[in-house]
Amino acid sequence: MEDMTKKTVEDSTPILELDDLYVHYRSEGNIIKAVNGVSLKLGRRETIGLVGETGAGKTTTALAVMQLLPDATARIDRGDILYNGESLLRKSKGEMRAIRGALISMIFQDPMTALNPIKTVGAQIMESLTIHNYEHKSKAELEARVDELLELVGIKAIRRNEYPHQFSGGMKQRVLIAVALACQPQVLIADEPTTALDVTIQAQVLALIEELKEKLGTSVIMITHDLGIVAQTCDKVAVMYAGEIIEDGSVEDIFLGEHHHPYTVGLFNSIPKLDDESNRLHPIDGLMPDPANLPPGCPFSPRCHQCMEICTREHPAITYQKGSHRIKCHLFAGGEG
Amino acid sequence: MIKYVIKRILIIIPMLVVVMFIIYSIMEMTPGEPARLILGTNASQEAVDQLTIELGYDRPFLVRYADYVVNAFTGDFGESWQTGRSVFQEVLIRFPTTIKLAVFAMALAVLIGIPLGILSAVKQYSVFDGVGTTFAMVMASVPSFWLAMMLIILFSVKLRLLPSFGTGSFAHYILPAVSMSCAEIAVLLRFTRTTMVEEIRQDYVRTARAKGQKENKVVFGHALPNALLPVITVTGTEFCGMLGGVVTIETVFSINGVGMLIYNSILQKDVPMVMGCAIFLTASVMLMMLVIDIVYAFIDPRIKARYTRAAKGGKASE
Repeated sequence: MEDMTKKTVEDSTPILELDDLYVHYRSEGNIIKAVNGVSLKLGRRETIGLVGETGAGKTTTALAVMQLLPDATARIDRGDILYNGESLLRKSKGEMRAIRGALISMIFQDPMTALNPIKTVGAQIMESLTIHNYEHKSKAELEARVDELLELVGIKAIRRNEYPHQFSGGMKQRVLIAVALACQPQVLIADEPTTALDVTIQAQVLALIEELKEKLGTSVIMITHDLGIVAQTCDKVAVMYAGEIIEDGSVEDIFLGEHHHPYTVGLFNSIPKLDDESNRLHPIDGLMPDPANLPPGCPFSPRCHQCMEICTREHPAITYQKGSHRIKCHLFAGGEG
Repeated sequence: MIKYVIKRILIIIPMLVVVMFIIYSIMEMTPGEPARLILGTNASQEAVDQLTIELGYDRPFLVRYADYVVNAFTGDFGESWQTGRSVFQEVLIRFPTTIKLAVFAMALAVLIGIPLGILSAVKQYSVFDGVGTTFAMVMASVPSFWLAMMLIILFSVKLRLLPSFGTGSFAHYILPAVSMSCAEIAVLLRFTRTTMVEEIRQDYVRTARAKGQKENKVVFGHALPNALLPVITVTGTEFCGMLGGVVTIETVFSINGVGMLIYNSILQKDVPMVMGCAIFLTASVMLMMLVIDIVYAFIDPRIKARYTRAAKGGKASE
């Protein structure tokens, strides 16, 4: 805990680093392999986009960082999560509570249910502040901070004594953002912060996160399946499939790079285009493999149009690397890049 | 809000009139001529006819019913056919005993059932949970009168610790209250467990954890208040159910309450007394329901908002 408050660590070390992380759920004799060897480096003031279909293990990865995985079923089997160079997995429950909400915060997926229905929004923001009130600020100071936070996310401070049911979905999401940002965290994990919102509100919420990032210098993990959001907000992108990062790199690498993982290609092709003559969408055929029963080779091989014999047998390692751009696919095993 | 409360109180009046009609009709359908019942089989037909006219039973059913309702609202529920004493007085004397018993039993149920339910939910699938739910299952299946007799055998006959009948002291209430509360403990335990387990899985609980909140504050500060809202309703309805359950328990323990009175009156075909008791119990149930609704409206901001908003002219902010 002491070392954490010291600002001795250089600015170049990542604020958050996932090192070969494996998270498995155990239920009724099945082992559900949700996250399989995810490595990720989040630099200071950086936004990383975690992209992938539903069930790719994005939320599980986020919950692992927060140490909020369900105790009964989930276990981190291998790997490490480093915050400022320190392992979060070796922290005690008390130490972890001091980090959660204060240094690492999370905005959850569904704003409709993520607020306590019988507490006022002001009280729910206040809670974050009082938990981490290490400077023993007076109640009046904290109250003022609640008002400030509400104004920051674009809610009039006089509404602090209203209950969640009196707010619309977008406004609830703003309240949740205020809760997450209350203690000016170093890392903000935004788990599909806009999925439940309509398009105009989406833009507002994204602009808000962007603005706050600038103001507070927060690093952000943006979990989404919307590539538009990624292009708009992220510096780096990691594409997840079946609990693995199959391609990662800078936004330019992913959007403009010459080579891509077939899954990434499929993701881009599935975006409807305005100038497309065809009447149909172009989804990726098939479904994500059952995480309790992953195929032996490349997890994407059953759906891949360029699947080769080796793909069904052998799990691909990183085969392509050019600058920050990395791809896990047998297609590039020939030594390209 | 006040408007809502007044509205709810006013609704009780027509409801009571309807309930009186139902009870009055049922009593009307029971066999036997009232005057003959009062005077006995040996009385002359002249005397019986005379009394029928005196009682007003020569008039049509609806006229008598209307008469009864008007009198009832002035506090006159007629006289007992058996003793000739005022029904209202008789019920009023016994009512506190019954309420005391029901409140005591309910307090036991709330104090034992709800905490055990919370414990079972928080320690789901643990030994506590297993023991708790099994205990609840057994308690829910045991009939209260049987349990009452078993308790009497153990505590009064064998151990000679507690009295088995009467209402002299606090000790007299223990056995009847315990036997009445057991089934309610089971109901509250299971219900609290269910709602609590449900609330613990809610997203807002995870939000609270994500703030870095301590686990016991997450459970007791966030999940519990939400879980208790429906428990309040169930506690209220169970209390009402208990007011009906007093009939058996008061009879088993010879407690001179409304339950005992109604039981004896039925045996003696004392129609005005049965009517009076039934109406009293119904009115208590209605009042209880009213209290629950008002309490609910005060503690749940969503419901409170609905009424205050309705009063403002139904304008929602969302």
